[in-house]
Amino acid sequence: MAQSQYVTLVSSDGYEFVVLREAVLVSPTMKGMLRSQFQEAQTGRCTFPEISAVVLEMVVDYFHYWYRNRDKEDVPDIEIPVEMCLELLLAAAYFGLEPPSRGGTTW
Amino acid sequence: MASRPNRIRPIRRPIMNKEASEFEPCWDILRGALTDIHNKNASRLSFENLYRASYKIVLKKKGELLYQNVKSFEEGWFRTHVLPPISELVTSNLVNIALLQNAAASAHERRQMGERFLRGIRTTWEDHNTSMNMIADILMYLERTYTAEARQPSIFAATIGLFRDHILRNSLGGASDHLDRPFVIFDILNAVVLDLINMERDGDIVDRNLVRDATSMLEAIYETDDEPENAKLYLTVFEPRFLAASQLFYRIECEKLLRDADASAWLRHAQRRLREEQDRCETTLSLLTADKITKVVDQELIVAKMHDFLAMDGTGLKSMIDNDRHEDLSILYHLISRVDKSKSALKASLQTRVMDLGLDIEQSLRDTDFTAPAAPADADEPAEGADKAKPQPLSAAAQQTAAAIKWVDEVLRLKDKFDTLSTTCFENDLVLQSAVTKSFSDFINMFSRSSEFVSLFIDDSLKRGLKGKSDDDVEVVLQKAVVLIRYLADRDLFERYYQKHLARRLLHQKSETHVEKELVRRMKAELGNHFTAKFEGMFRDMELSKDLSENYRDHVRNLGDVDTKKVELGIHVLTTNNWPPEVMGRGAATQEDRGIVNCIFPPSIKRLQDSFFSYYLKDRSGRILTWVASAGSADVKCVFPKVPGKETGPLSKERRYEINVSTYGMIVLDLFNHLADGESLSFEEIQAKTNIPTLDLVRTLSSLSIPPKSRVLAKEPMSKNVKTTDRFAFNTSFASKTIKIKAPVINSSSKVEDSDERKQTELKNDQTRCHVVDAAIVRIMKQRRELTHTQLTSEVINQLVGRFNPDVGMIKRRIEDLLGREYLERIEIGDAPAYRYLA
Repeated sequence: MAQSQYVTLVSSDGYEFVVLREAVLVSPTMKGMLRSQFQEAQTGRCTFPEISAVVLEMVVDYFHYWYRNRDKEDVPDIEIPVEMCLELLLAAAYFGLEPPSRGGTTW
Repeated sequence: MASRPNRIRPIRRPIMNKEASEFEPCWDILRGALTDIHNKNASRLSFENLYRASYKIVLKKKGELLYQNVKSFEEGWFRTHVLPPISELVTSNLVNIALLQNAAASAHERRQMGERFLRGIRTTWEDHNTSMNMIADILMYLERTYTAEARQPSIFAATIGLFRDHILRNSLGGASDHLDRPFVIFDILNAVVLDLINMERDGDIVDRNLVRDATSMLEAIYETDDEPENAKLYLTVFEPRFLAASQLFYRIECEKLLRDADASAWLRHAQRRLREEQDRCETTLSLLTADKITKVVDQELIVAKMHDFLAMDGTGLKSMIDNDRHEDLSILYHLISRVDKSKSALKASLQTRVMDLGLDIEQSLRDTDFTAPAAPADADEPAEGADKAKPQPLSAAAQQTAAAIKWVDEVLRLKDKFDTLSTTCFENDLVLQSAVTKSFSDFINMFSRSSEFVSLFIDDSLKRGLKGKSDDDVEVVLQKAVVLIRYLADRDLFERYYQKHLARRLLHQKSETHVEKELVRRMKAELGNHFTAKFEGMFRDMELSKDLSENYRDHVRNLGDVDTKKVELGIHVLTTNNWPPEVMGRGAATQEDRGIVNCIFPPSIKRLQDSFFSYYLKDRSGRILTWVASAGSADVKCVFPKVPGKETGPLSKERRYEINVSTYGMIVLDLFNHLADGESLSFEEIQAKTNIPTLDLVRTLSSLSIPPKSRVLAKEPMSKNVKTTDRFAFNTSFASKTIKIKAPVINSSSKVEDSDERKQTELKNDQTRCHVVDAAIVRIMKQRRELTHTQLTSEVINQLVGRFNPDVGMIKRRIEDLLGREYLERIEIGDAPAYRYLA
């Protein structure tokens, strides 16, 4: 079976985000999730029962932001609402997007 | 602004709820998942769920507990589920065969058993590896945070290490009871793999993929859980054993090949083995080993016994070279280039071979009887030429010339042979080329007559060979000539011979000037201006003389003085220095201890000479012209009157012939003009009237009285040799089919010198060398003022090596001589003897 180019991410409150598979793979967590023989890898549908749509949307935004700019230099910063900082920080840890020294992106 | 410092507040609202974040429930989820993963039931598990469980445990700072739990779970799993099937595989039979090299088992049996064992190991490994990868994925957050911070080996490394500790390093308790040494499963694995590889080397077909999987496994497992790159089990344990086993294998194989004594088979075998091992590393083992194993093959199969193989009778290097076995040689070249960049073994063998073959040529010359082959240099070779001891100058010389040409031909053939080898087998390898060139040069220069022979060869080629030949053929001859000259070390000696031979060719117009010039031009390019200066001078003289002769002819015609008895004069004015002393008539001086011989010319000729002399000096006062009768030739018109009493046949009529003779011949013939019929002259009388040197007179009279085609003088008694007691008369019954007759000019055929002449030449050459050495010493000392003896000697050698190899003894003698003549004085620099130049 040919793998779909897209995967679906589902938030705790039931919102679904369809994201380019390649973009998602920036996260090691997602990479592990999609390469093993677990449920998610087979269905292409990843449910996150403890992440709200608001946060997940920002994460998905980041996936796309990373994917668009992956080969570029002097990339503009991504806008982050101050009140979400903490939650996003935790989400970043969860998705394994932590080491800021590597990408140079401001999270 | 600083009045109210910001504080970072603790998280009040974690994103996961409290009750689910306890350790136990999370671990329960994970433990269940581990079991499922091992049982290959992962597809119904949610990765997110498991990941989140481990994530939470880590957030609760229970990472270490999780790490330990997973580890002990895996150990338990190994004990209960993995080991039992493995220990079943390790039967005592397998142990016997693998570790004791039980000879009773057939190769087939061994292979079957070994492959079964490897398959078992492979299955276990693959399962384990897959599971560990999945588990490591689930525990990714643990790996990222806890293990990194606690400086523990990653959970993956730790669990993969279980395979090493519990399987490979497992001694399986009782299974080794009947062996006198402890062993672990790893030993069996190695033994089985090595056995399979050896089977494949012996021509069996084995399951390469199986072996490849086993080695990949070893590449993935490390000595310790920190996994340093150079501590892969493949590198630390397997590879050394593999190399050792291969070494043994090839050592035995090489000895076997040596017993079979076929160097050609050995070469091909070694080449094939190298290819096989490279191939094996690519398909069966690991590329990491490629260089190392080929080194083992290089060492054991090539280097170890190379000299034995090369020295083999019948198939060794000697026979490869002699029989032009190009394929063998190119393989050999490639093999040797692998193991030895300087190729010293091949180089040395080639050099000896060149030397031997070169000396063989010389030897065979000595053994060959040159009387049998028609020596084409002189058509009328007397029949009894076998009599070498007593002078039969013509024939002996012709034989010698043939020998010289044969020698050169053989040398050139040898050179061609090695050139071919170089291009087809040795990739024009520079090291080998220069080695071979050096050997050529060595053996050529060991042969004392090489300079003379080379010059003779050129002489022969230019005189006979080139008429009617295409430019390409000429080119070949020229190239050969230059190749040979390049080898000669005693170039001054060659120069001397060449000058002599060239002089003869030019004076007798035996060769084509443009070819001569081309050759000299090439020598100039090869050996420098200095070397060819005299030759060029000779060409110049020839050209000037041609103009001069024409101008003189015009001059005479304008004078209207027709009465010179119709003697036409063609003259060559030769500059003394450019031409060899022999030609200039000075050669005889040393030989017979006399001054320049002035022979007596007939009056008619004398008048002509005077006339030319005065013409010549009109523009060039102060010069001296000396007539060199020995080098000239003349066309003499002869009238043979009707022989009384003969009514039929050619003798019944008056005959007119034009005979081409040497200048001496002309003088001699002129004497007979003044004789009455029936009178004769003795040898002494002729000599007294002409003052021609004895040797030249003998030659002249021989050419006029012996060969039937030019026997215009009748000799008494009739014999094949001219003796000083003979008498000569006009041969009235001479007849010839052609009008123009050429009396063979013995003098002009270039031939090998006999040993006396040779000594002369060498003596003269040594004298010249003395002057050259003197000049070099003075030149150096003038510039350096003071120099030690050794420095001076080496500088002199350096300066002169392009012309000849100066003898150290000679240099020393010349220094002594210069000390005596007060050009130098003795001093000491340090402790070393030294000299100072005295201006």
